[in-house]
Amino acid sequence: MTSSKYKNLIFLLLTALASLVIVVVVILIAITLIKESYPALVRYGPLKFLFSRQWDYSKEIYGALRPLAGTVLSSFLALAAAWPLSIGAAIFLTELCPRRIKSVVASGLELLAAIPSVIYGLWGLMVMAPFLEKYVQPAIEFVLGDLPIIGSFFQSRSAGGVNLFSASCVLSLMILPFITSLAREAFDKTPPELKESAQALGATKWETVYDVVIPNSRSALAGAVVMALGRALGETMAVAYLIGNRHASLDSIFSPYATITSVMANEFNEAEGIRMSTLFALALVLMLSNSVILIISKRLIAGRRIA
Amino acid sequence: MTKNVRKRRIKNLLALSLCSLCALFGLTILGWILFDVAVEGWKALSPKLFLKDPAPPGVMGGGGLKSAFLGQGLMTLTAAVMGIPIGILGGTFLAEYGRNLKVSAIVANLSDLAASTPSIVIGAFVHALLVAPFGGFSGWAGSVALAIIIIPLVLRTTDETLRLVPWNLREAALSLGASYHQVIWSIIYRSSLSGLLTGVVLALARAAGETAPLLFTSFNNNSFNWSLSSPTASLTVSIYQYAASPYESWIKLAWAAALVVTVLNLGLNLTARLFLKSRKY
Amino acid sequence: MIEVEDLCFYYNSKNALKNVTLSVKENCLTALIGPSGCGKTTLLRCFNRMHDLYPNNRYEGRIVFEGRDILDKSIDVITLRSSVGMVFQKPTPFPMSVFDNVAYGLRLKKINNHNVLKEKVERALTRAALWEEVKDRLKESALGLSGGQQQRLVIARTLAVEPKVILFDESTSALDPISTQKIEQLMVELKNDVTIVAVTHNLQQAARVSDYTALMYLGSLIEYDETANIFSKPKHKLTEEYVTGRFG
Repeated sequence: MTSSKYKNLIFLLLTALASLVIVVVVILIAITLIKESYPALVRYGPLKFLFSRQWDYSKEIYGALRPLAGTVLSSFLALAAAWPLSIGAAIFLTELCPRRIKSVVASGLELLAAIPSVIYGLWGLMVMAPFLEKYVQPAIEFVLGDLPIIGSFFQSRSAGGVNLFSASCVLSLMILPFITSLAREAFDKTPPELKESAQALGATKWETVYDVVIPNSRSALAGAVVMALGRALGETMAVAYLIGNRHASLDSIFSPYATITSVMANEFNEAEGIRMSTLFALALVLMLSNSVILIISKRLIAGRRIA
Repeated sequence: MTKNVRKRRIKNLLALSLCSLCALFGLTILGWILFDVAVEGWKALSPKLFLKDPAPPGVMGGGGLKSAFLGQGLMTLTAAVMGIPIGILGGTFLAEYGRNLKVSAIVANLSDLAASTPSIVIGAFVHALLVAPFGGFSGWAGSVALAIIIIPLVLRTTDETLRLVPWNLREAALSLGASYHQVIWSIIYRSSLSGLLTGVVLALARAAGETAPLLFTSFNNNSFNWSLSSPTASLTVSIYQYAASPYESWIKLAWAAALVVTVLNLGLNLTARLFLKSRKY
Repeated sequence: MIEVEDLCFYYNSKNALKNVTLSVKENCLTALIGPSGCGKTTLLRCFNRMHDLYPNNRYEGRIVFEGRDILDKSIDVITLRSSVGMVFQKPTPFPMSVFDNVAYGLRLKKINNHNVLKEKVERALTRAALWEEVKDRLKESALGLSGGQQQRLVIARTLAVEPKVILFDESTSALDPISTQKIEQLMVELKNDVTIVAVTHNLQQAARVSDYTALMYLGSLIEYDETANIFSKPKHKLTEEYVTGRFG
């Protein structure tokens, strides 16, 4: 009787300790990032660091503006392409898909999320980038390239298909299955009697989806998109291949550029001193934005409004 | 009226067709990627891939990736041995002993934060913790980085799976005179076994496909060795480095490795689905 | 008004309705009663072809409404459903404002003129005895209304498209007694200009509000008569046992 009591106590302590491990890891990550980035932040000052566009190896002055802009731009472009596709696919899965093929289609879309990101990078570099350069890039340039003011952003200036556009495309493919499965979960939570009510009033299936199912899951859909944004911001391998890691001002979406992750992947192992500290400061920026995004998306998915 | 209905029906048809095309688009991309990986990888696949180490370009047709297979296997296994028990025990605390504690909710949120941390940040963190102070890249550091990826994933699936077991099962067992740890071991783990396995396998698949955390920790190594205290090769880092090289023989190696990694990963994911299907709760 | 002739209904291969024949009288309230699983809701959902939303369902027989067999393949279910409304067990307000909820069916019919909408929404809400309570909060979300108000809102939404028939599927079972009483009152008033078919678990309710009552058991129609007869001098032994509470 007492031995059983002790065993229970020991097991309780064991599980409590195990659950503490992840807490310690998160705290250690925070401390390490702050400590390692401290020299750079002190030298430049946090605001100056964030808004400086310099990346000068000889003078050893490094600013976050360009990689930060690259990260934000590539993620938002990817998101813009991915969300309508994902929500369309989720509507197909929840409302249209014949039951017989449903599990196949759903598994297929989920396997898309299981492919490792280095494979997306390899495929993106070898197959997708040449394809985009040959077929999609000329089409976009033809349609948008001659517009006044913004036209020059759609003109190709370098060959090889390694550029912001390709990076955004591969990112959008990577987040597509992610938003799809979250949107599907949200749609599945719509009470069937709500859908029936719309149809009982003579609404078509599309009208039911558009007027009832989507508004009913609006908050969760927003949460899914925000969470996907977090994924896109932190994605490394595929972007590192496709964006070209070029520290220069962005003149076109068809030019190489840099993101926080591409800079880290390419320069970390050769960096030391202040450059290393700068890379940690970039990681800190990434980690902070990721935390904010996680909090917002969790609240949205739980259905709470943000204050 | 009927004209209105016809118009709405056409709109219905158009919108729903577009949705179907979206799903088709996703499947097409999956097919496209798998097709290229299979075709290109198959061309480069040979016994040499598993038996030889990489050779300089031009020599012996680029050699093989023996050390990368071994390194990846060793590091994933070590990470699993460290990460899975911690994840399962931690998840058990959240779902059982700490079910109604406020602190459990905080731990769960921090775990989600860890799970959503970009993997390259984890790589940089482990580099600062285990590589820089100890004088160099090592397989151990790579294993720790992978374990940090595994722990929050296993922890949260364990937590969620155990919560699905009906509460009255516990009450029934406790009323028979069992102590709580006996209830957990003899009833709760047993009835949620397939859910736990699903979480474990999915976490392993994630870890086995990661590149960014290894880049700054275990790096790469062209010579074969069993020790994790030196730089250690892995398939994923090899793919990353070889694909960006200008040498045809290395690019072929990258495709072959990609085929192996993809088959392994999709295989693990499909296995996890089978477990999920046999779930009781 | 609605003639059900020899209706059979199958889920997969399960025979859920067996040769049901009955005739629903115009501007009357017909109650469908019977123990759980007897097929009363299944029958109700035939009247607006709600079963069409799910696969592997099959009808046999005829339901004649306004001179046409509504089970016929050539019937447009969308048009049918705007003349046969339905109110569900739990309130089903859509995630939009009170006004937009009631206007929803009208907008589907491409009635977009704001003045017309306003007039029709007010009329529907008045008929549903809800206007006084919500006239100052038409722009607020319908999800903020109480359960009983939500159910009357759903009735108003159904009334707005001016259906000839309204189907009630145990529409008071999730409500408190006071809200229930309001809805019952409403049903009695409504039957002056619409025909009502209501499924109910509550025998007193059937006795209080209905003109005709049909007792169903195991997918078959056991007895169908004026409510007074069903409750005071039932012809069938099963009916007598059911209305006196000896089974069910």
